[in-house]
Order: sequence, then C-alpha cells, then structure tokens
Amino acid sequence: MQLSVNGSKHDIDLKGHESLLEVLRGRLGLTGAKFSCGRGECGACTVLLREKDVTRPVYSCITVAAGCEGAQVTTIEGLGANGLHALQESFIAQDAVQCGYCTPGQILAAAALLSENPSPDEPAIRAALSGNLCRCGTYPRIVLAVQEAAQRMQKAK
Amino acid sequence: MSKKRFVATTVEVEGRSETRVVEVPAFEPEPWTADTPLEIVGQCVPRMDAIEKVTGRAIYSADVARTGMQHAVIVRAPIAHGKITRIDTAKAMALPGVTAVLLRDDAEGIKYDGGQLFDPWIRHVGQPVAAVCASSRGVAERAARAIVVTTERLPHAVTIEAALRPDAPKVRKFGNTGKDSPRVEQRGDVGMGIKSADVVVRREYRTPTQLHTCMEPHGAVADWSGDKLTVWESTQGIFNTRNDLAKAFGLRQSQVRVIKDYMGGGFGAKNGASVAAYIASALSRKTGEPVRCVFDREGEQVDSGNRSATIQRVTLAAKKDGTLTAVAMEGEVMMGTGGWFAGPAKIYHEMYACPNVRTAETAVYTHTGAMASFRAPGHVEGAFALECAMDVLARELGLDPLQLRRKNFAKKDQEKNRPYSDKQLEACYEQGAQRFGWNTKPRQIGSEAAAEHVDRRAQRAAENARFRRGRGMASLCWGAGGGPPAYASVRLNPDGTVEVLTGTQDLGTGARTVLAQIAAEAIGANIAAVRTVLGDTETLPYTGNSWGSMTTASVGPAVRMAAEDAKTKLLDAASAIMGVPASELDCRNSVISARNGKTSEMTFAMIGEELGNVMILGAGSRGPNPDDTAIFAFGAQFAEVEVDIETGLVRVLRFVAAHDSGRIINPRLAESQLEGGILQGLGYALFEERSLDEATGVPLNASMHDYKIPTLSDLPRIEAFFVPGADTVANHTGAKGLAEPPIIGVAPAICNAVCDALGVDVSEIPLTPWRILSALRARPNAARSD
Repeated sequence: MQLSVNGSKHDIDLKGHESLLEVLRGRLGLTGAKFSCGRGECGACTVLLREKDVTRPVYSCITVAAGCEGAQVTTIEGLGANGLHALQESFIAQDAVQCGYCTPGQILAAAALLSENPSPDEPAIRAALSGNLCRCGTYPRIVLAVQEAAQRMQKAK
Repeated sequence: MSKKRFVATTVEVEGRSETRVVEVPAFEPEPWTADTPLEIVGQCVPRMDAIEKVTGRAIYSADVARTGMQHAVIVRAPIAHGKITRIDTAKAMALPGVTAVLLRDDAEGIKYDGGQLFDPWIRHVGQPVAAVCASSRGVAERAARAIVVTTERLPHAVTIEAALRPDAPKVRKFGNTGKDSPRVEQRGDVGMGIKSADVVVRREYRTPTQLHTCMEPHGAVADWSGDKLTVWESTQGIFNTRNDLAKAFGLRQSQVRVIKDYMGGGFGAKNGASVAAYIASALSRKTGEPVRCVFDREGEQVDSGNRSATIQRVTLAAKKDGTLTAVAMEGEVMMGTGGWFAGPAKIYHEMYACPNVRTAETAVYTHTGAMASFRAPGHVEGAFALECAMDVLARELGLDPLQLRRKNFAKKDQEKNRPYSDKQLEACYEQGAQRFGWNTKPRQIGSEAAAEHVDRRAQRAAENARFRRGRGMASLCWGAGGGPPAYASVRLNPDGTVEVLTGTQDLGTGARTVLAQIAAEAIGANIAAVRTVLGDTETLPYTGNSWGSMTTASVGPAVRMAAEDAKTKLLDAASAIMGVPASELDCRNSVISARNGKTSEMTFAMIGEELGNVMILGAGSRGPNPDDTAIFAFGAQFAEVEVDIETGLVRVLRFVAAHDSGRIINPRLAESQLEGGILQGLGYALFEERSLDEATGVPLNASMHDYKIPTLSDLPRIEAFFVPGADTVANHTGAKGLAEPPIIGVAPAICNAVCDALGVDVSEIPLTPWRILSALRARPNAARSD
C-alpha cells in the first residue's frame, strides 16, 4: 500500500492487520506517537488523519494501517513543518508538559480541535481532550496552552 | 585542599531513616538565605527539554531501536495461586520469526519479589512464567499465546480478611503476616491520654489499592555485546538498575551501562531493574541480538507495583479546647506478594503535638501483585484516616477543623525529640485559608464556633437541594531533606557554554532545568548557555534514585558546589589573562568583570578561547545533613465539592494548596508538580481502586478504560502555591523536596468536604457513587437534617 505521512509517500508491504501505530513507529521510525494502552483508551498514540477535507484525531493503535490509503497522516514530527506550531509554542510557554509521554497526542488532539473550532471555550477544550490521559496531571496547563494557541492563531490570520 | 574525612549522617528516604557514612566535602558554599539576591534561581525558566517533548524528538526507552533488534513478550500466570506442572513451548518455537524462549532455567539468579524469576510457584495472577522473543512484536505476541502453561490450582487469599483467616493458604513461606508485624511505635501512654480526655472518637477507615498507571509502561532495550551489557531502561534510578543487573548476571558493575534519557512517568514504580530489563538482558545474552521488552498495559496494571490497601482503626482523644491527649491507630497493610512495608503509621507520630501516640500495623501478604513505592507511600494512606478522624473530632468538639489543627501545631519533631530545620506550616494554614476563603477570622473556641458550624450546616440542609456543597481541609508533612551521596561536575567548554554532569534522572519533574538554574546562578552564567547532562551510568558521577522527593535537595547542593569550584578556577584563569587579582573579579550573565568596573570585561567565551582545551572543571558533592534536625516539607490543602445526592456523583469544584518546601528554584515547574500531585490524589479520592474477583483472584480492571484515572473533564479549579522561604539549615541551596507532599492531603480534604456536604461520615475511598449512596442510605435523613 501507499501511505502518506507528513507530506511524504511511503510504499509499504503490509503484513496482516498491522496498526497505524506499528507502521509509524516500527517501519517509519516516527516514535512521536507513543504506545501506552494499545486499545484506544489513553490517547498517547493520537495522530491526525485527513480524508475528504476533514481532519480528525485517531487512536493510531486501533487504526488499521491498510485503511489509511488515500488519507493524509500527520504525526507530531510533521506538525510544525515550518518551525514550531502555535500549539507547540504554547505548550512550552504554559509548561503543559511534564514527562512528555502523552504530549504529542495532546497537541495533535488539540490541533484537530482548533482546525474545527478556532476559538473553543473551556468546555469545548475539556470535551475534545478528555480522551487524552495525562498521569503527571498537566491538565490545568493544557487548557491554558490551547487557549493561548487559539489566540495566537487568530491574531496571525 | 583540607584533609577529607568521613562522617555518619541520617537521610530520610520515603519515610525510612537511613544512616550512611559520607565524605565531608572539601568546602561548603555559604547558604543562600532568603535575603541573598539571586537572579536565576527562583525564576520561571522554561522547561529546558520541553522542545524535545513537544516535537516528538525526545527518545523514551521504548523508542530506542537497534539494528537486528528482537522483541520480547512475557507469558503471565492465569491463576492466583498454584504450581506450574508443565510449560510446552513447541508450538511457539515452530512459528517463523521466533528466536528464543526464556524459562526458569535461563533465569537463575534473577530476582522477582524477593524470590526467583519464573518461579514455578505461582502467587498472583500476572506473575511472569516465561518469555519469548521474535523478529517482531506481533510474532512474539502470537508465540506467547502459543505457549501452553499447565498449572495445578491451589486455594488463594486475595483480600486482607481472607489472608488473615487461620486456615488461609500461605502467600510467603513464613506465613501471611510480616516477620516484624505488628510493628508497634509509641510514645507516652495512650491509655492515660484517653482517660484524661473530654472527648474520644473512634473510627475505622479503608483505603484502596492504587495503581501507578504510568503512561509509559515498564520497558527496556538490552544489548549484550561481548562482555558488555548496555540497557536503556525507563527507570528512576540508573545506578540501582546497573547494580541489580550486574548482580543478577554475575557481571562487574563496570561491564553494565544503564542509560535513561526520557521516561514516561515513574511515581515510585521504577526504582530498580525491572522484570522487562532482566528479561531483555537474558534474551539478548541468549540470542546475541539486542532485545526490546515492553510491558503491555495489562501487565503494567497487574505486575508493576501498587499502593498498599489499608484498614486503619483510629482513636483520637482531646480536651474540650481541642488539645490532643491521645492518638492511636491499629491497622493492616496489604503487601501483595512482596515489596517493602511502607505502612501508614508514621504521620500519626509526626503531624500533631501529642504526648501519647501509639500505632500498631500489620503487613499482610496476599495473592496479588507486590506493592511498590507510590508517591509518598504510607503518608497518603495514613493522612487519609488521620485527617478524616481529625474532622470527626472537630465536629464532636464543635470546633472549626482548621482551628483544631492549629491548636495542635507541633513545634518540634516529637518522634525523635529534635528541632525542625524550618517549619512554615502556620503560613500555609494562614495563606491557604485566605486564598480559599475559609473564614480566617479568629474564632472563639467552644460554643460560638460550634453554633456557627451547626448553623451553616442546618441552613444548607434546609435547602434540601439535590446538589450539596461542602468544604474540607487537611494538613500534611513529609520528610523531604534529601541527602548524600550525590556528586556532580561542572565544565566550561571553550565556546563559553557550561555543562552540568550528574548521574541523576529527570522523570518529568524538571531536574534538568532546576539543576541548570542552580549551576548558572553559582557560576554566574547566562542560563541559555547551561545544559544538564544526566541519565548515564558509564559517563556520569553517581547520584541516587529520583525518589522520596530527594533530587533537588540532594543533587542541587552538589551541583552548586561543582559550579562554585569551577567559578574559582575560572576566576583564577581570568585573573592571569586579564591581569586583575581574582578577588576583584566576579561573574554575571557569562561575563567576567572587575568589581571596581575599571578594567575591561571578558565573556566566558573569550576566556574559553584564550584557554583553548585547558579545562575549567569543577567538582561537587552533597555534604552531610545537619545532626539531630528534622527536615520536613509541610502543607495545608482545602477542597470544595459538590455532591449529587440522587446519583452519588462527587465533583471537586475547587482545590487550594499552600505548601512549604523551603526555597523554590523554579516556581512554575514546582507548581506543576503540586497540580500533578493534587490530580493523582483526586483520582485516589474519587475513582482509583484496583478491583479483583475474589473467587478467582483475577483483576477486573487492568486497563486504562476500567481503571479510572482523572481526565481533563475531572479538573477542578486548582490554586497551588508555595509560601516564601529558604531552609538554610537543611542545605546551602535552601531547597527541600516538593513532588510527593501535594498528593498527601488531597483524599482527606475531599472526603472531609463530602462529609461536610452530606452530614454523613464516609470512611472509605474511593468515593464512588455507590459508596456515597450507601452512606446516605445508612442514614437516610442525614442529607436533609443534621
């Protein structure tokens, strides 16, 4: 199959039902998406999938790679193609990071939210990101970081 | 250099006091007092490794990939107690891509729960019985499923009650209670204290088994090449891990290199070589290839440690004015199959002034996974029962809960009869109450306060609303002095950059940033030019585990001394180059200038260029702790909750936490730690509870869906802060530990708020809807009238 990741096309000889996470980490060396629960419960493996002009966050650990043909996958490595994305900057500025293991998933889930809703209120942020767990407890700062990024992106327009 | 000498010093680690012989450093810098003007320490310097983390460039142990790497999967026991009679690996070995199977005979000398890895005696569901490795994780998983383990089942005991029955099956060879149980600690005479009291309250409290649930499971990559073993391990202690591996495999410590760059959480569960590291190493030895072994989530939840469940029967006795006359606790602590006896008792002896205190705690072994340190082990469990009982006592006495705690303020460490290095708990009470709006006006002890308290409750009850609000608080303390041994080097590169080299770990706490700030301050460098290198046993000087809130207070002083040492050498070199006496030179912002300002300045880079490869290298070590001094962190925490009495759902609306941890090196990162501890405590109070099927011993919620940790939807408004200070007696940086304290008071503060909301005593966490509704049913009128 051909898989489009971060703007590059990869020809991949898939074996069986390999998950998108296995392909990204094992075959493409993109380790920003993390393994944590392996069954779509924690969000550490979140990546963006763009199909038919709709961008949505998916749990790559339970997404079958073969089903991603024709879609564009964005991982954390491809988010800030020209320097840092506003969300990456705001996550640093607000210190919305401790161990950092859930961070790529948090940022990508937030990016999907902002592409749908450029100025989300706090309940919208809570709802959109409540499927991304953080055991260090950076939640208060994640809310602030998403709000800050939304403002930066609005100003930049 | 003065003659070195070695002295004994006391260090508190996770509530345990240890005496060590340590070397007195060649010099000790003057303490940074509260008045010392500091420019970089105390600033909110952005987390230095945040950019690696937000871009996905940070490489965690499980991200490490080596050429030819094999993937290992662990086969786990399906039963709680029994014997393995046969393991058939033929089908697994026949699968294409399978390279090796690891069984009991391949694991000689490898520890597991104080016993032997792959022991045929099964003592809990999920105990490792074998491992297999293959060219891919997928093949290894299929092979693991193809291994047929035949077992002979024996009766099991998976609860404290079951394990204590006279006919209970044995979990340990010596029985089901610890050899040192009951562990009794006492001062004064509790019986006399109760006799002399006006009020006595007795309650039983229960706390659950809490699972660490690190986002990154335990995992390691091992590469056994020739006579050298290199292991990338997700660990809180690289040197502990190295020593464990060397011992298990009969290697010299110099043959083992352990590397930990980034890790996805530890919280106490990753304090030495993990089962994953042992298995990866053994398989790498067997196959000659690098091997990665990462726990799956189920393995992580059943076999990577847990916080002990406890039962605590508490007695508090007091005079009418609130003065405590006796504090007593008897209880049981669930160990699982092993671990160490943390126990809830210590905080009963430490928290309040009281002449008569007695605790007796029994370690109970069960056919469940072994306990491990979990963020403030023992104190979290103990604080729940003690602080809830303090609120019961306050209600009985008609006193404000905060007033009762202030009344029993301990002016010294009564357990060991020694002074505190510093104690700002009163400031925590004051500032926390003020931020929370806890009514800080001084109250009359006695009838007026009682009347007011009852009035408030009656008024609320009269509203008869579905949603009831309540407020609660709790005090906390934690031995957080850190201590030796810890070593660091600081070097100046020819381009003027400064590197801090120390074999510690950054768990996500911010050690990289905080240590760089201390070095920058001490040597007078621009923070942007300073970098911390850590996490490698082969190249870096020793420091201990990152546990017990120890890193900043242990490694920080060593780093400061190394930077001061480097600064002395740098100024000597600059003196020779600039022709100005070193005593007239000083460093600031990476520039060296004369104090009188008359000569020209030189930057670190200019000096470095002049020196070329002549090194400026400073060495530092952590000196002994002060004799006969108690070094503690303190805090006061306040919660406001809303309870839906129809569904039993509890929501925490607001949480205020005021903490004393001496000097704060980086307020933003430190407050981040407070928030994280509070959220873990919120999970412990409301949702988190390992649940087992008693009939089979099988865990029922070994996943992140079924084992509930807090999500963003559960987030209350949190105001967490530190009261200003610098503990110059503790060490010369003035900093104490701060990562564990914030979890300690959370569950009791929340539970006390729920009791306040409902007018019902709730004495078991987590406060699930079922427990809330049961408590209301037990006293159906409670939520309507007091």
